[in-house]
Amino acid sequence: MTHFSLLSDLINLSRVLEADRAIDLDERKQRDRAVGLTLQHDRNKPASQIRAWLYKLSSAANLTQGQQGARLYHLLCVALVVAGFIAGWGLASVVLFYDGKQPINIVNTLVILVLPQLLLLLLWVLTALPLRLTIISSMGAMLGFLNPGRLARHAAELFAGKDKQGLDILWHSDHATILMPATRWLFSFWSQLFAFCFNIGILAKVLFLVSFSDLAFVWSTTLTINDGAFHQLLTILSTPWAAIFADAVPSAELVANSRYFRLDEGALSDVASTTQQAITLGQWWPFLLAAISCYGLLPRLLTLGISWYRFRHHMRTALCNLPGAPELLARMNSPLVSTLAEAPEQALNIVVESDTGKPEASHYTLRCPLVDWSGACSDESLISQWIASMGIEVSAFHEAGGRLSTQQDAELMASLCGDAPDGISVLVKAWEPPMLEFLDFLRGLRQRCGEKRPIVVLMLGDTDNVDASDRETWQLTLAQLGDPNLHVESVVRSL
Amino acid sequence: MTLPVFAIVGHPNKGKSSIVSTLSEDESVAISPVPGTTINNRHYPLAVDDAILYELIDTPGFQRARAAFEWMRNHAASAMDRADSVRRFIEVHRDDPHFAAECQLLTPIMAGAGILYVVDGSRPFGEDYEAEMEILRWTGQASMALINMILINMIGESDYSEDWRKALGQYFRIVRVFDVMEADFNRRLQLLSAFGELREEWRAPLEKAIQILREEQARRQALTARVIAEMLVGMMTHVNRQMLSMNDATDAVRESLLENYKHDLIRMEQACRDEVERIYHHKHLQRQEPLVKLLDEDMFSRQSWVLFGLTRKQLIATGAIGGAAAGGVIDLVAHGTSLLLGSGLGALAGGVSAWLTSDRIANINVLGHPLGGKEISIGPMPNINFPYVVLGRALLHHRIVEERTHAHRGPLAIDPQSLNWQLSDVNTRRRFEKIFSKLRKQETGSADLLTSLAALIEDQFKGTLKTESDSE
Repeated sequence: MTHFSLLSDLINLSRVLEADRAIDLDERKQRDRAVGLTLQHDRNKPASQIRAWLYKLSSAANLTQGQQGARLYHLLCVALVVAGFIAGWGLASVVLFYDGKQPINIVNTLVILVLPQLLLLLLWVLTALPLRLTIISSMGAMLGFLNPGRLARHAAELFAGKDKQGLDILWHSDHATILMPATRWLFSFWSQLFAFCFNIGILAKVLFLVSFSDLAFVWSTTLTINDGAFHQLLTILSTPWAAIFADAVPSAELVANSRYFRLDEGALSDVASTTQQAITLGQWWPFLLAAISCYGLLPRLLTLGISWYRFRHHMRTALCNLPGAPELLARMNSPLVSTLAEAPEQALNIVVESDTGKPEASHYTLRCPLVDWSGACSDESLISQWIASMGIEVSAFHEAGGRLSTQQDAELMASLCGDAPDGISVLVKAWEPPMLEFLDFLRGLRQRCGEKRPIVVLMLGDTDNVDASDRETWQLTLAQLGDPNLHVESVVRSL
Repeated sequence: MTLPVFAIVGHPNKGKSSIVSTLSEDESVAISPVPGTTINNRHYPLAVDDAILYELIDTPGFQRARAAFEWMRNHAASAMDRADSVRRFIEVHRDDPHFAAECQLLTPIMAGAGILYVVDGSRPFGEDYEAEMEILRWTGQASMALINMILINMIGESDYSEDWRKALGQYFRIVRVFDVMEADFNRRLQLLSAFGELREEWRAPLEKAIQILREEQARRQALTARVIAEMLVGMMTHVNRQMLSMNDATDAVRESLLENYKHDLIRMEQACRDEVERIYHHKHLQRQEPLVKLLDEDMFSRQSWVLFGLTRKQLIATGAIGGAAAGGVIDLVAHGTSLLLGSGLGALAGGVSAWLTSDRIANINVLGHPLGGKEISIGPMPNINFPYVVLGRALLHHRIVEERTHAHRGPLAIDPQSLNWQLSDVNTRRRFEKIFSKLRKQETGSADLLTSLAALIEDQFKGTLKTESDSE
């Protein structure tokens, strides 16, 4: 799979993780652990792991936002390169304007082309310090509007369609807070890119003028500074390149010959001939180039490099700190612990007839035997008394289920139905669920006693009346038999 | 070493599934009012990647225990033949629907699974349990009885656990009481550890499983803390903005922005709740919680004039600097004889023209976007108490979710009024306030701020949260 830039991945990851939250966590765990196991060699490189994860799981369609954002970023970089170059070229054109009448003051040139840059560099160093220093942070915010990087952001907002920005996660999203350090260094990178190209523009203009026109540089002062002192100052300034670029160090002779007085339409201190004078005054250009390169271009190259490095470092950090990213790393690198069932549950889908909702009948006129199922109640007189209020008179007591054998149950069924009673009542423990062996018993009774004879299942609560949930359980279960003459009643304990 | 396998067996509707739900943290276990709906064994392995450390098997309840036991008794000549009789019973009745439940539940036991026999301690012991307990004894496998206390503690039903102990003691060497609804994580692990008493060889794998579950729990807490931290940062720093042209009315926009802002905060909190519940395997909770409220709504609505991303002051300053630079060229050409008049006048002209023309420039549309106008913004939340309120609610929710067993089927009621959350100490409060203060001012110089906040929140899980019920 094609690999994209870090910025593109950051934008894409932010969106993919956001969308990922909608996926079931167990599914995410399984998916990410499977990917994580293939990326164990990158375990100590979380950013690499996350990027690899992104490439493995995202389709090309999901990654377009990041590519669009990266494209916009590159477009802005190009715009800043062009703008910086033009600005440098333009400024150098003004500063190095020479029509042959007034030579160019080398001191003015350096003051304009190099000194402000050094001051701005100092400001950059201050603002590049950690934000912990409130005063620096306030100053950075105050002067932020002068930062070409910040202006580039506004240009991006203005000229790129909102849906195509991608970059907007850096400043207009809920992740902007986490991405703030990266954003700060992006602005720094952009501004240093502008400044670097500004210096390139200056140098290009200087080289252009030196190559295709003649320039004459002089120095001038009202102070009683002799040539030697000025030469000493220039030698100190030239120290950084003196060893490797000796020609760019102005000689004492050049300094002496370039002192300029404006009196009487301008006069040089030592004039030989006009041609020789022009050649002499033009010899300052290597010094000018070296000074701009050393005090303008190289520091900007350094700050550009630092900004680029810090921007990438913070992007990498942000990649691992975006909401959802540490969770993703944990899922990839922790064992997948599952206690869940292997397969979905297969349960019987029992369709219950409408009988289930049938209200309990309150009164019968029955004289019938009572079967005590599994020892529901040992006190025959008490139970007779309780069910008498329901219109059921107990003709005989019998036992079934529990400790008795199935053979004894079968014999009981045969004997009960042989007596042809009005009906049969069966007393059960309401708190115990009706099991299949009880349903077998009811089916056996029905088979032997005929379809018409009422069978009343009497539920007895353990200490109190029957719970609604127990009643429901019994009603639902017995309704499966589809027997219209099977009734389910709760026994009301009364004094 | 054999894999520890435990078959959870018993009467239907006595809490087998609840125990399995709780131990496996699986809320998909069906709990039906109609007994006998579970027809097949369901396996719940503790799997660590591809390795299985133990397995729980939820089995159908006994349905025709008496008939099955009669068959086994009739086919066992002596005590020596009992296990074989059970095995033969399974072989003979494997395809007989009449004994489907018995064959299902006895198969894993005869394959070596330990028996966890579950009874309901809130219901009296009865003779109808004897046949199934006899069958289990006949299998000859290691067994333990669990008295489930669900209803006793939940709705104050009668406690028959002592009667059960006496009865179960005759059939099972180990009898334990367990309340699936109130079993917190440590109690669950204690029960798991007790399973190791069934066979010596199972002790080591179970201890390993317990260690892994503890680590998993720690990971869950860390993840939850992270999710809560992300929510807090999101809620505290969230801003809703809208650009308007100079002539647009602002009141209606402000109102709608505020509504959207509230909605966004609620959405963030709900998303966090959902994720925390998913971390603890609660996927279908019906949460009952009052929505988060904003404090001091009027405090964080702002209106500012902007042009090309600059405020009016910045624009004038930019104009002045630009003018000064242009004027500086004149000074330069004049070799300084202008006494910086060019720069001064340029700065004045640039600043004044920026001031005079700013509104007109702001209304210019470039590619459909106005260059400037009014920006209405709601947020970030400035209220000092807001993050503490949100954090307290999140901690309460986490605690309830963490302690809730998967046997619960009712809604998850959260009452923030009952919360009496206190930060563990002054130092912790200071550390929280330091982070919150940075977030309020949107000064997040480092991406590890979230990590620091998550670590602080994780510390809070260790027991500083008190609710009214705790106090009582």
